[in-house]
Amino acid sequence: MTLLDRRSLLIAGGALAAASATGTATARVPPSSMVPLIGPGYRPVDADERGMWQQMERVEEEIAGSNLVVQDAALAGYLKGLIGKVGGPAARDFRIYLVRIPDFNALMFPTGMAVIFTGLLLRMRNEAQLAGVIAHEAAHFLRKHQIRQWRDMRTRTDIFAMLAMGAGIAGGAAGVNTGDISQLGQLGTILSLLRYNRGLEAEADAMGVRLLAEQGYDPRAMAETWAQLIAEEKLSAKYRRKRRHRDISLFGTHPSPESRMADLRLSAADVMRPGAIYDARHASYLAAIGKIRSTLLDDQVKLNDPGASLYIVNNLAQDGWNGLLRYSEAEIYRLHNRAGFDEHAARSYAVAVQYPDAPADAWRWHGIMLSKAGRREEARAALTRYLALAPNAPDAAFVRQMLVS
Amino acid sequence: MRHVTIALAGSAALLVAGCVQTRQYADVQFAPPSGDYKLLVMRPDVSVGSVTTGGLTEARADWTEAARTKLLAALRAQQAGRGGNVLILDRRDSLPGVGAETIAELERLHGAVGNSIALHKYLGEDLPTKRRKGLDWTLGAQAVALGQRTGMDYALFLHAEDSFASTGRVALQVLGIAGCIVGFCAPNVGGGSQFAYASLVDLRTGEVVWFNVLQSKIGDIRTDAGAAEMVERLLGRMKPGREVRRAMRAGV
Repeated sequence: MTLLDRRSLLIAGGALAAASATGTATARVPPSSMVPLIGPGYRPVDADERGMWQQMERVEEEIAGSNLVVQDAALAGYLKGLIGKVGGPAARDFRIYLVRIPDFNALMFPTGMAVIFTGLLLRMRNEAQLAGVIAHEAAHFLRKHQIRQWRDMRTRTDIFAMLAMGAGIAGGAAGVNTGDISQLGQLGTILSLLRYNRGLEAEADAMGVRLLAEQGYDPRAMAETWAQLIAEEKLSAKYRRKRRHRDISLFGTHPSPESRMADLRLSAADVMRPGAIYDARHASYLAAIGKIRSTLLDDQVKLNDPGASLYIVNNLAQDGWNGLLRYSEAEIYRLHNRAGFDEHAARSYAVAVQYPDAPADAWRWHGIMLSKAGRREEARAALTRYLALAPNAPDAAFVRQMLVS
Repeated sequence: MRHVTIALAGSAALLVAGCVQTRQYADVQFAPPSGDYKLLVMRPDVSVGSVTTGGLTEARADWTEAARTKLLAALRAQQAGRGGNVLILDRRDSLPGVGAETIAELERLHGAVGNSIALHKYLGEDLPTKRRKGLDWTLGAQAVALGQRTGMDYALFLHAEDSFASTGRVALQVLGIAGCIVGFCAPNVGGGSQFAYASLVDLRTGEVVWFNVLQSKIGDIRTDAGAAEMVERLLGRMKPGREVRRAMRAGV
């Protein structure tokens, strides 16, 4: 047999072994089965978990002191309040940090420290959606996922090491080289580790839905979040003339967004009681993040991922367009610099300035676009308005000079 | 995370060498501290764990605590023997008059500089600009400012790891050697090992004047004797820099 043949056989065999061992889908976890495994003020007792917590001490110190942490006491208080609501029995034990990274992500550390990315705040339409993500992260802690995963990995690698050694010795005695079989076993071990991870994500989703509904939030918000993410990825890929990247689900540490969305819908239906009132809490969300929304949008726009950025702006605009969103839309078009986008940008700036909350820069760019189009008088008016709104802008002197000449 | 590069450098070196190995570099002008000097020890980063059957290292809080205490005691004793006054920082905010953020910044800066030293001195990525210059790295004005504010002469950054094979891992090692009888030899199943590094910064100039990495397959820093042994291996034989050695030879 050639080397190539043997390798392809190995890959096929590995995939087959994994498929038969794990199945490609992870079964949905019923929310009712998701009870917290810890109480308030939990401290680790077992040696392995204590070791894990101790290692996290410096990690938490490093994250808490990082200059990526957004220094906004009101917002920090709001996030702490949210995890206090949906955090189950550990509600008072969590620490939550907001870090300025324009990416859709949130993390939970084994000691109850949660980290939320600003890219997540940008994408959420209401408090229920944000609380859903936080509830999911809280569930990782309440169900002791990190230590359970470590123990699972330890057991599996222990078994693999013993089996590989045993096979080697048996093979040695029989005069057979067992290298390939051992490699296959290694692949099987890795795949089963990932499956355990996906199972934990499914648990966190199910428990998150439950925690959300218990606090009167609309539990369907979690499925909405995934629908939004899928649509965003699709549009992002389309603008880059690519297909949306799909992980091979066998190798994914998280279940695919599609299957999570489907499961979350079913779970939401499970936990909703007839007659109960479930709320998305849009107004309180806007009140909390309103001040930093322009920064969030700016960070996203500068990633120059026009498909994703346009999706995000349009998704937020479902709750009503305003000057800031129109201005962001215009910026996305202008910065991408594709044929025809200039006109799109000019139109969006023109619309943006119709709103009372239009940022000063919207007037600036509106003026420049008008000037490019040869509409000098209207351009003067727009730039004059810009100077009135931002008299100390870095380019104020320059714009004044433009107006004089 | 910042120790990854340094750890990598260590394990690469271990493959080539025997059981205990140290490799130190010094600034060409470096003379080991002696007499009545003041040494500030920056929060030593210690972790001790157990090697599982499958080869993972599992941290152990009680062992780590014990090792940290023993190492610090050993360090105090060793430095006192050389005439140094030692102040050990337990937390970032335990230095009067110096904010925790200042210490944090310096730790992060040293993390970056230490990684660079590991990469270019221990992992073989030689820099042409630093050839034959001994150890040529600095923490700059920040370190000098700390020295001025505290009156300290040197800062020592210390990292130490130790691990011990679990019962299962020992069984696996035994099997690997026993397999030789039937023709399946696996004598290289790793057990416990030590890895440590020390970095000495001259707070009067801000320069990293001396750096040492220790690799060992024997030892136990949870015990008084083992901790003293590691401190001695790591810090006991500081070699002066090239030009200082040359001057010493010329003087003799």
